[in-house]
Parts: sequence; C-alpha cells; structure tokens
Amino acid sequence: MTQTDQIIEAFDARARRREERRGFFKNAMGMAAVTAAGAAAMSIASDAAAQTAVTEVDVLNFALNLEYLEAQFYSYAAFGTGLPANLLTGGVGTQGTVVTGTGTGSARQVQFSDRGIAAYAREIAADEVAHVTFLRAAIRGTGTSDALIAAQPQIDISGATGGAFAAAAASTTPALTGFDPYANDDSFLQAAFIFEDVGVTAYKGAAGALFNNKTYLEAAAGILAVEAYHAAIVRTALYARGIATPTIITAQNNVAATTAISNLRDSVDGTTDLDQGIAATTTNAGTTSNIVPLDANGLAFSRTPAQVLNIVYLNPRSVTAGGFFPNGINNGNSGLRSSAAN
Amino acid sequence: MTKELSVLAIVEATAARRRARRAFMKTAATGVAAVGGLSLLAACGGDDDNMSVPFPTPTPTATSVSTDVAVLNFALNLEYLEAQFYSYAAFGTGLSASLLTGTGTQGSVVTGSGDGFPRAVNFTADPLIGQYAREIAQDEIAHVTFLRTALGSAAVAQPAIDISGTATGAFTAAARAAGVVASNGLFDPYASPTNFLLGAYIFEDIGVTAYKGASPVISSMYLEAAAGILAAEAYHAGLVRTILYTRGVTNADLITATTKISDARDLLDGTTGGTNGDDDQGIAGTNIGAANAVSNIVPTDSNGIAYSRSVQQVHNIAYLNATGANRTRGGFFPAGTNNPNPAFTVGLG
Repeated sequence: MTQTDQIIEAFDARARRREERRGFFKNAMGMAAVTAAGAAAMSIASDAAAQTAVTEVDVLNFALNLEYLEAQFYSYAAFGTGLPANLLTGGVGTQGTVVTGTGTGSARQVQFSDRGIAAYAREIAADEVAHVTFLRAAIRGTGTSDALIAAQPQIDISGATGGAFAAAAASTTPALTGFDPYANDDSFLQAAFIFEDVGVTAYKGAAGALFNNKTYLEAAAGILAVEAYHAAIVRTALYARGIATPTIITAQNNVAATTAISNLRDSVDGTTDLDQGIAATTTNAGTTSNIVPLDANGLAFSRTPAQVLNIVYLNPRSVTAGGFFPNGINNGNSGLRSSAAN
Repeated sequence: MTKELSVLAIVEATAARRRARRAFMKTAATGVAAVGGLSLLAACGGDDDNMSVPFPTPTPTATSVSTDVAVLNFALNLEYLEAQFYSYAAFGTGLSASLLTGTGTQGSVVTGSGDGFPRAVNFTADPLIGQYAREIAQDEIAHVTFLRTALGSAAVAQPAIDISGTATGAFTAAARAAGVVASNGLFDPYASPTNFLLGAYIFEDIGVTAYKGASPVISSMYLEAAAGILAAEAYHAGLVRTILYTRGVTNADLITATTKISDARDLLDGTTGGTNGDDDQGIAGTNIGAANAVSNIVPTDSNGIAYSRSVQQVHNIAYLNATGANRTRGGFFPAGTNNPNPAFTVGLG
C-alpha cells in the first residue's frame, strides 16, 4: 500500500463524519461577514496600548498556525509525508516550507511496533488535517479568496541536529539525550506530548475572544474538546507503556520524560504552574494517575497567545521566532506574533 | 483509615493543583453576587506578560445570570451523577453530605448490597484502571465542589441518583437497551475493572457534548471555566476510550459494546439518521488489530470537531427516554434533575 493510499484510507474511515456536517460550512458562512474590518473587533487591554485590536480572524489564524504544526508533525509520523500544497497557501504572511532535517532524527514515517499506537497516530493525523481545512474555510468565509488566511509559516519538525525537536530535547531537565521523535512508538508519543496539552490551553485561553460569534465559539469548543481527547490518548498511552515496562527512571522513560517536558513548558511560559507530567501520586487510598492536567477546581489550564508562543518558540523571552517556527508564525496582528517576556 | 478519609487523602495529595488556585475559589465564592463587576475569570489568568496582546475578554453583563444559573445547575446535576459513580467505584463510598444540599428536592443514591449495587470495584486484577478511577473520581468531586461554590446559594441539591447495576438498576436498563446484555441480563459496572470502564463509557462523552452544547449560551463570566470543565471531561473520555481500545485489541467484545452503547445513545437523543446525523460513535474505527488500523478514540464530525447535545438530548440519555415516556424523570435520575428553570429538566417528548 502506498502512503497516499494509507492517507486516503484514513480519511475514508472518517467518511460518515463528513456526510453529516456538510451543511455546517454553509451555515457558518452565512454568518455575519468575518472580515478584518468586520464586526466584533474587540478592544485590547490597556497594557498593549500600541497594538491593534484583535479580530476574530486574527484568533482563528493564530489557531491555524498551531494546527499547521500539529498536522505536519502527525502527518509525517503517520504517513511519511506532509500536507498537500493547496492547504498551505494564504494571503497573510510569507509561506514557508517544512524543515524535515536529514539523517537520524529527520521527519519521516514512524515504524510502529504497536499497532494500537499506529492506529492512534493515523486517527490524530486525520483530525489535525481536518482542523487545518476547517479553519481555512472558516477564515475564507463566503468568498473564494485566500487573502485573509495565514499561509503556513516555516515549520521545523526535525529531530536531527539543529532541528527544533533536538533543541527542545536538549532544553529539558534532565535533557532527553539522543531524542529522535520518529524512532519508535515511545519517542513518537513523547514528541506528541510536547504539543498536545499546549493546544488545549491555547483554545481554552482563546474562548473569550470568540465570545461574540457563537458559531465560532462552539466550533472552537469542539476543537478544544478534540485536542483534549488527543492529549488524553497520548498521555494514557505513555503512562500505560511506562507502567508496563518500568525501566529505570531516566530521561528516556516515558513518565520521567513527560515530567521533563512539562517542566520545560513551565520554564518558558512564565512563573505560573500551568503544566503537569503524568507521574502518579500515592496515598493510603492507593496510587492515583495524573492523565488529566487540571487545577484544584478540576479545570484545565489556559495559556495566553504569548505564553503559547513561548513554548513553540522554545524561548522564555519576548521574541518573534524560533523553535518550531523558525521565522515566526503568520498573523495579521503583530501583537499575536510575539512570545511573552518571562 | 476510613473511606472518607482516604478520599480526603487523595484530594490532599494533589497539592500542585491546589496551590495555584486557592485565590480563585475565594473570588468565585463571591463572584455570583458581583454581577457586572470585575471579571471573575480575570482571577484565573497568569497574565504575566506586558509585551504582547492577550486575547480580549468580554465584559460580563448582568442580563445573562439567570441563564447561567440554569446552565451551571444543569451541569451540576450531571457532575453529581458522575462523581457518585466514580466515587463509589474508586472508594466504595459516595460524596460527603455537605456536597449534596441546595435548592429543589434532595435525593439519595440508590444503594444496597450484593451484585449490582454501588460499591468499590476490585481493581486487583488490573491496578492501572484503579489508578485512573481514583483520578477521575477526584476530578469529578472537584467539579461538584467548583460548581457549587460558583453557584453559591443558587446551587441545586443532588437529586435522587440511580447508579445501580441490579435487575431494576439504571445501568442494567441502559445496558439492556443497548444490547450489551440480554433483555433479562444484568450489567454490574462494579463487578470488574472492564465492566467499570464500560460503565464509565456510558457517561463520558455525554459530558463533553453537553458542555459544548452549552458553550454558546453561557455568559462570558463563566465561559472559560466551562471550557476548562469541557476539556477535563474530554480528557476523561479520551482516557476511558483509549484504555478500552487497548484492551479491545484482544477482546473484541469490548469494542462491540462501545459501538452498541453509542448506537443506543443515538437512539435516545434522536439523532440516528435524519437530518441531525449520527453524533455518537464507538471506538472501533477501521481494521482493528491490523497493521493499517485507524482507531476512533475521538468522536468527531468531518471537520475534526466534537459534537454538541442540547439540554433536552442530554436528558433523553440520562433518563433513558427512548420513547418519550420518561420525559421528566427516569434512568439515572429517577426523580428527574433539579433546576430552578423547569425547561432545563426535561427531555424530548
């Protein structure tokens, strides 16, 4: 079976999902026109005096950049190829390529030994591609122009020397030495772990910004839920495999790796603890897992767009590029392209 | 150590979660009264950046509060149900009495002894699932506590709850309706770790669709909190579905059961076929166990987006209201749900 066939098959598995929601776009596109100058350009907190108001399109484009990253990573890992060219164009920003690297650690199809993990990878890849497609259509609106859509920026999903995954792995404490995201089931899951909870916190943080457009709000809530399902798959699989093969606690161990990665995310996104690994706690009542990262109220965490960028730029400072986005993300609002100064 | 103390010990163990948000609960407790004032959820933000643009947060308005009270109480009824089920399964005991009071008629959990009655699941054969049970139980208790605090004196009491797997219990009725057991069979969700997972499966995706369905009507004051619970429920559902899939690769009955339960939920909420489509899906995906398998852990539409259910649809499922006969009560809520807005207590006719 060719890679293309595999992709088609994965999407065919989703066929019945497709049938029922054809009408959605039609309805969504019938909404009040979403243009940069359109309604609901919301005012900005006073501390960002020099910035332009964030529009709904800006918010959707912010999400689109993250989905490009996730979709490319999962697509390479599951199928060995990236997104089709017609999903990468747009009138906002400069279109970039995918940095795959060469040799050990380069972006490529994972040779899974666990068919369950492979099945998850294909499922998640199809979902993330669907998110890219959906967001592009939502931003495009009623017209046919791609002028408002953020083009895919340069994306680095390489685990080779100099690649973003290599940089991330070197930044954890302890460092994940020799980390190749595409080497095997466990390294794939660990790499996925780097992204997944970030998407949840980003969509949750964005909920308020879409408040005035109930169609987008509900759609964003739906993507939020899906990202949380994905994160749960990844965390559950990591934990179960970590327990099943309780190798010594090293950086290469699944549970320890999540703690290290979680600490990395916390170290770059500011002083608030918004992140948790999957390590369990044990009390007299027994051992309790931590698949779900929540606060004391049982609520998931939120991140501001700037905090999200700290993580994907792999930088605690206020910068406009780096890490998984070597040239920064594409967004019509310059205020949404900078990470926070932590 | 008593069971209740054990529960406390687990809650105590989550120090990391507790640290960050003490201040929030304090604010939330008085927040309902402070309508039109400062944004409650501003207390959530770790807004330590001065360089970049935050996403704008709309200003809360007073007009939406009555809808909020209805929506949050609707959610509280579901959380009572989930918290009681997981608490019994994980710890062998229900919620403490102080978490059950409020407006409306307070009910009790249908308890008893023997096969099918709510009790601690013996996880010895599969201790990993026991860890998950304790985690989810603790999360659901936190949701009850959070919603009660947010609602303050407007919180509804726990209604009567049936989480029994006896011949007349709601779990058995649900499993019979789904064809998971024969029409005269029993479904005891406390009998084994696997049965517990299937019991959990009956609830979990419903919470996701209910919170998502409520997202357009909730006010800005509670939007982010509701989104946070939505995410937690989706994590739980993802966890349960992932474990069922993992176990199901070598136990096809589990996969089949999820398909049957999802089909039953489709029947109950009125979305089988027709214009509303199939908004519930089992985990089977395609080619399970084969090298080219694609799982279906995440139930989504063609856009990769989770589904919504209306308040009425959720009640149809919770009341096991396939025929319209149980429009106001039944199934897991034998006396109906409690809500100051009666429209939030009924299923489709």
